[in-house]
Amino acid sequence: MAHQVNTIDFRRHLDRSFWTATIIMGVISAILMALILIWPIGDNLATAADSAHLIDPIFKFMIFFAAPIFVFVNGYVIYFARRYKHRPDEPADAVGIPLYGVVPLEIWWTVLPAILMIVLGVWSAIGLFRLYEPKPGALNIESIGHQWSFEFRYPGMKNSFYGDFYLPVNRPVTMNITSADVIHSFWVPQFRVKLDMVPGMVQQLHFTPTEIGTYPLVCTEYCGAGHGDMRTQVHVVSQADYDAWFAQQQAKATATAQGPNLAAGNADKGKSLFEQKCSVCHSIAPFDQKKVGPGLANLFNDPQHPKLVDGSAPTPENVAHILQNGFTGPIGVMPNAQANGLSSGDIADLVAYLKSQSK
Amino acid sequence: MSIDTIAVLRRADAPIHPAPESFVRKYLFSIDHKVIGIQYFIAAGLMVLLSGLFAEAIRIQLTSPHNTFLTPQQFNEAFTFHGTLMVWFGAIPIVTGAFGNCVMPLQIGARDVAFPWLNMVSFWTAPPAMLILLSSLAFGAPDAGWTEYPPVSLQAGVGIVFWTVAIFTIGIGATLTGLNFLTTVVKMRAPGMTFTRMPLFVWATAVTSVLSLVATTALASALGSLFLSHVFNIPFYDPSRGGTVVLFQHMFWFYSHPAVYIMILPVFGIVSEIIPTFARKPIFGYKLIAYSTVSIALLSFMVWAHHMFTSGLGVWVTLPFMILTMLIGVPTGIKIFSWVATLFGANMRLTTPMLFVLGFLSTFTLGGITGIMLAAVPVDWHEHATYFLVAHIHYVLFGGTLMGVFAGIYYWWPKFTGRMMSEKLGKLHFWLTFIFFNTTFLPMHFVGLLGMPRRVAYYDPAYHSINLFISINAFILGAVTLLLLVNMFWSLKKGPAAGPNPWGARTLEWMISSPPPYYNFKEIPEVYSGPYGYGEPLPYSAPYNQVSVTPSY
Repeated sequence: MAHQVNTIDFRRHLDRSFWTATIIMGVISAILMALILIWPIGDNLATAADSAHLIDPIFKFMIFFAAPIFVFVNGYVIYFARRYKHRPDEPADAVGIPLYGVVPLEIWWTVLPAILMIVLGVWSAIGLFRLYEPKPGALNIESIGHQWSFEFRYPGMKNSFYGDFYLPVNRPVTMNITSADVIHSFWVPQFRVKLDMVPGMVQQLHFTPTEIGTYPLVCTEYCGAGHGDMRTQVHVVSQADYDAWFAQQQAKATATAQGPNLAAGNADKGKSLFEQKCSVCHSIAPFDQKKVGPGLANLFNDPQHPKLVDGSAPTPENVAHILQNGFTGPIGVMPNAQANGLSSGDIADLVAYLKSQSK
Repeated sequence: MSIDTIAVLRRADAPIHPAPESFVRKYLFSIDHKVIGIQYFIAAGLMVLLSGLFAEAIRIQLTSPHNTFLTPQQFNEAFTFHGTLMVWFGAIPIVTGAFGNCVMPLQIGARDVAFPWLNMVSFWTAPPAMLILLSSLAFGAPDAGWTEYPPVSLQAGVGIVFWTVAIFTIGIGATLTGLNFLTTVVKMRAPGMTFTRMPLFVWATAVTSVLSLVATTALASALGSLFLSHVFNIPFYDPSRGGTVVLFQHMFWFYSHPAVYIMILPVFGIVSEIIPTFARKPIFGYKLIAYSTVSIALLSFMVWAHHMFTSGLGVWVTLPFMILTMLIGVPTGIKIFSWVATLFGANMRLTTPMLFVLGFLSTFTLGGITGIMLAAVPVDWHEHATYFLVAHIHYVLFGGTLMGVFAGIYYWWPKFTGRMMSEKLGKLHFWLTFIFFNTTFLPMHFVGLLGMPRRVAYYDPAYHSINLFISINAFILGAVTLLLLVNMFWSLKKGPAAGPNPWGARTLEWMISSPPPYYNFKEIPEVYSGPYGYGEPLPYSAPYNQVSVTPSY
């Protein structure tokens, strides 16, 4: 290009005012960086697993260097906009300095961020390998995502179960996660780890809980109408408490579920249960007013739909059977009583309520 | 049209066709790039406004943890429509179809794009696609988010079929536009306009066109497989019959990551036009900005799996995607630093477009920084699919794309209407947008890091007050956008005449009358040097050197 960069012209602007502004930005950055260094992340969100101790410093490293970048970009924008604003006493066609580039500066702001990225990349890569590394003697737990609940299977336990689950503190855990229907995700914010529960594939998540407490387990991958409520809790407890819980869970599994006593169903209780547990997918409306599943107003007496979804006749016993065991078929999935958290009594109440709504 | 004819069109003695007379050929089925650009602008602008209404519905729902304003099903449809409309029917058509069509041919001194008929066809894929998508609301709307990951998206009703057909249709238009613009930039530049004398918006449009042309085909396979799965029950994504669900994510993001750059590169171009104009100074590091655009585009094809770090890729697939993603930070940083350096030693006019660009520098920088945070896989394991991610994409797409689009609207509005917009109203629009944008989206970072996942109709009551705060600011942010509409109507009715070059810019579109005549350039100009040499004689041949570069506003 024919243009000459007038270096004297541009150096003229590197005056006291420029350096004062730069130093002020430097001081603000330094204060922010110091605050970031001493910020105890655990005070805002508990650091409850070894994985959290591994991930938090990388996060800190990034905001530590993000702070000066953010301060200097914004600072110079504000400073230049104020200092170089066109003044009314200048001619209307006044122009800025004809500066087309400063090669050393451009090399610096290519090389420095590249170095930062290399450091971050190497550190993250080391972290990545450690997160994927199985630990010896780990407790192997299976977790299966359902619409919309988490199912757990423990080694040596007879039945699987839904809802809260327990982990012993300071013992490595390998979660083997998958899904029975659509993609879910397994995230405990206090452990800082998250992996998707992908149908047809088992992923392993390795961590060691290090702090006793109760933390949420959240599904973060969109999974349908009930996604917002797909949460449960993980209890990190001492080995003794864990053993006690395990024994109790084992006992529950052995006490076989009695069939629901349908005669004892209470329609009023059933109504509130329906609103809590069923109304995400079903309404009390004619069959065709579908949400996720059909409207259930005339469940027991609908000439257009004389059979239940599994092909059986609409008797209270058959409805109770579907509520107990759920249904999986080409038209969709309904969770079973365990996944919905329904006891035998609840099922009786629901059947009574649905019966009271049918003409 | 053969290549030879195109070459002839470039010549100064090319015949000037008479403008069409009938209403239909002039405004409806026009082949004039300026009219098509405005058609895109109106159609896509309406979609952005509609999409904004869906966003407000989402925010109303989230004002309390268990709100009954929407059912979960309606909430899911709302965020699906918000995302789908913004990405395919708002942002992409505005930055390519509207700005690309209106500005690019003028900036290279051409009388139209290379294939004007194809251009008309491209536009007319958009309205039917919009109608198909919106009509799905009556038949059971799609509800699995703008990404529509199977298998959950396949559980929905017939709406998902409408969704795939609508996006496939508008995708045809986007691909053809890419082909058209690329040919135009390569073949139809005014004599003397070498690649390194092109305005940076033209660079951005050319590179974006390559992305549209190549990447949209991958989207087509993703959409096609979803369509076949739903309609013919073909088990691409059913593991019980041998399918793999993650396959869809690969195909989807192989398009949708470049699509992120389709949405932002033209805005980088807009910013690179506005900054030198109002700094009245050559852009700092022209070549580095141009080449960084190319390198961002190349890298954008190699990073798609960074959207899938939690999907189960395993360590050895994750690793290269992480490194390549971090690399994108380098050319993006170069751009930001070069823009800031252009402000150094300026003679700055703080007009509305310039204010929006300065706001863009602030918000986009933060969006870029959080992008790097999401690239570091261990940290991404915590942040992925939370409100931190929501905050990041809104800093990039609202704080980046939409701020840049606002800047572009204020900047080129006088050129295409012949009238100025109100600076007072424009500045008010900027300050309110900038403030309430940050108060809306900044808190989302924190609520996400603390544990709130995205796409939830109900949430943990612990996050109630912060969500209420976000919602209130979001309502104000939405209302503020009306100021832009008021300003447009005011300008069309009462705005003072703009003249050819109200801002004192030096690119070719400002050398002709506003609005430009049907044929754009009576004589095709000859170009002698680059576009940003403020303080020097204009780099174009005779008639254009008589146009003033002294700003009248």
